[in-house]
Amino acid sequence: MDGTQSSNNSETDIWSEAGTTRVPFQVYQDAEIYAQELEKIFYGSSWNYVGLECEVPNSGDFRRNFIGEREVLMIRKGDGALSVVENRCAHRGAQLCQTLSGNAGSAIMCPYHQWTYTLDGELTGMPFKRGINGKGGLNPDFDMKAHGLVALRVESLNGVVFASFDHDVPTLKEYLGPDMVKYFTRIFNGRGLRVVGYERQVIDCNWKLQMENLKDPYHAGILHLFLISFGLFRLDQESKCLVDDSKGHSVLMTNKGTEEGKEDTGGVKIAAPDFALTDHDLIQPRLEFGDNTTLSIQTLFPSIIIQAQCNTLATRQVIPKGPGSHELVWTFFGFKDDDDEMKNLRLRQANLMGSAGYVTLDDAEALEFSQVGLSGSSAGDAAVLEIGGTDCESNDHLVTESLIRGFYMKYRDIMGHGKAGA
Amino acid sequence: MDQSEISQPVTDDVVLRRIERLQLNYISSIDEGPLDNWPHFFTDKCLYTVVSRDNFDRGMELGVMRFESVGMLIDRATATQHAAVFAPRIIRHLLGPTLVDDTGEGYRSRCNVAIYQTSPDGDTMLLMTAIYNDLIVEQDGVLKFKEKRVIYDTHRIPDSIVYPL
Repeated sequence: MDGTQSSNNSETDIWSEAGTTRVPFQVYQDAEIYAQELEKIFYGSSWNYVGLECEVPNSGDFRRNFIGEREVLMIRKGDGALSVVENRCAHRGAQLCQTLSGNAGSAIMCPYHQWTYTLDGELTGMPFKRGINGKGGLNPDFDMKAHGLVALRVESLNGVVFASFDHDVPTLKEYLGPDMVKYFTRIFNGRGLRVVGYERQVIDCNWKLQMENLKDPYHAGILHLFLISFGLFRLDQESKCLVDDSKGHSVLMTNKGTEEGKEDTGGVKIAAPDFALTDHDLIQPRLEFGDNTTLSIQTLFPSIIIQAQCNTLATRQVIPKGPGSHELVWTFFGFKDDDDEMKNLRLRQANLMGSAGYVTLDDAEALEFSQVGLSGSSAGDAAVLEIGGTDCESNDHLVTESLIRGFYMKYRDIMGHGKAGA
Repeated sequence: MDQSEISQPVTDDVVLRRIERLQLNYISSIDEGPLDNWPHFFTDKCLYTVVSRDNFDRGMELGVMRFESVGMLIDRATATQHAAVFAPRIIRHLLGPTLVDDTGEGYRSRCNVAIYQTSPDGDTMLLMTAIYNDLIVEQDGVLKFKEKRVIYDTHRIPDSIVYPL
């Protein structure tokens, strides 16, 4: 599609079947589809992660973030509540705050013409509102109330903040559903949070490929030679893959295997089977959530991942940057009451994750291989998703792509790409 | 890390040249290999961290890599060569002049570094700009890093970081 003669019909036709075992490669590279994703998914009736409450502890604190390609500010107000507003002046559209975080004091002021807003985004004033000596300025009938910042609906769940451009969206808990809330609050269990640090990387592939990767336990037991070599993740481990009723959210969890029997890799080729690790802390977690699970990955539609691998905890936010690129923002966190040993463990086990992580550097590489590979495809070419069958159900094993198929069921419904499952 | 140190500028040319040579040999172990040599530029107990300036300025120690012994560095060198999947690449470090102070505990060495990366297709891009902030000590007549902190400006990393920096 060249974008000049696209129509809704041509987009719905790209899916060759009612189900989601074939994902057309156009959805990863077509500019028109991408523009519709921003409107229908990110700026539509979804709840989007914007940060942690502990990032803005004091009145006036803000943190800048993205929903889709729109910039937003998460702000702590004077009364302790949170607001989320678009980071764009209502006057001429200038970006209000440039730093990733800071303190706005009691008001947000545009640096360009000093139009000033409350921390809720209401326009309160501007220089020369009445001109000079009765000349110039704004007409007296200018409606200040109609020219505030775009304010989003905000909810937070145990310290994690979400926002929506749709003020009529169901509550966050309804959006997540009881199963997802249960696993979300397993990690975010009400203990005070602290940020351990940030990582950001730009990966040149469509944002959905990043989400797919975290819904794909099949790759984890094959691509990640580091995990396989040390028994941190193997496809034969006791495990769960859960898909929620909406099909858009999911959790995958495994209990740690042992290093014994690591030579049995199910046919996966390991380059250095004798490689022994010096630093055992890296792979020896302290269980902290009252169960034996050592890896859990929760993906919430559309674009946030909550990771607990051993004791390295992080939110990974996927920010689309055009059809062929996205930014991945990692917020590594811990709990305020972590003891010194746990603080050190979180820093050391962070070696597993992030842009240089023993595990995740493979992901960033493989995802770029995907985008390069599919970019030369013809209309009608599609990804094949038949590992574990054709359904989108939960499983007690890891050799499945059902979580990805579920994601595209929800995606098709929201995008109006035919009636998935019909 | 510096503030509490009482330090004096090193003016001895022999010392300065030895430190410059250490830094050049160090980057050569990454750029030219073999990577197996890289861990041995450090003392047995050491601190190697690669931290974004964003985290550093916030007082956060989280690094994209953090190793506290030669053993952990060997783990990284081995894993990179045998337990990781990535597109081949060429890494090239360009070092600026080095400022060296004698802290009594060792030599504090600081220099700017730009790190470029070249893809299999032959495209070269800037991976990051950074500063090396190192503590160098003499052990059995050989200079080694007791600390090497890579504090990088480019906190929006293009793709992934495969090799040590």
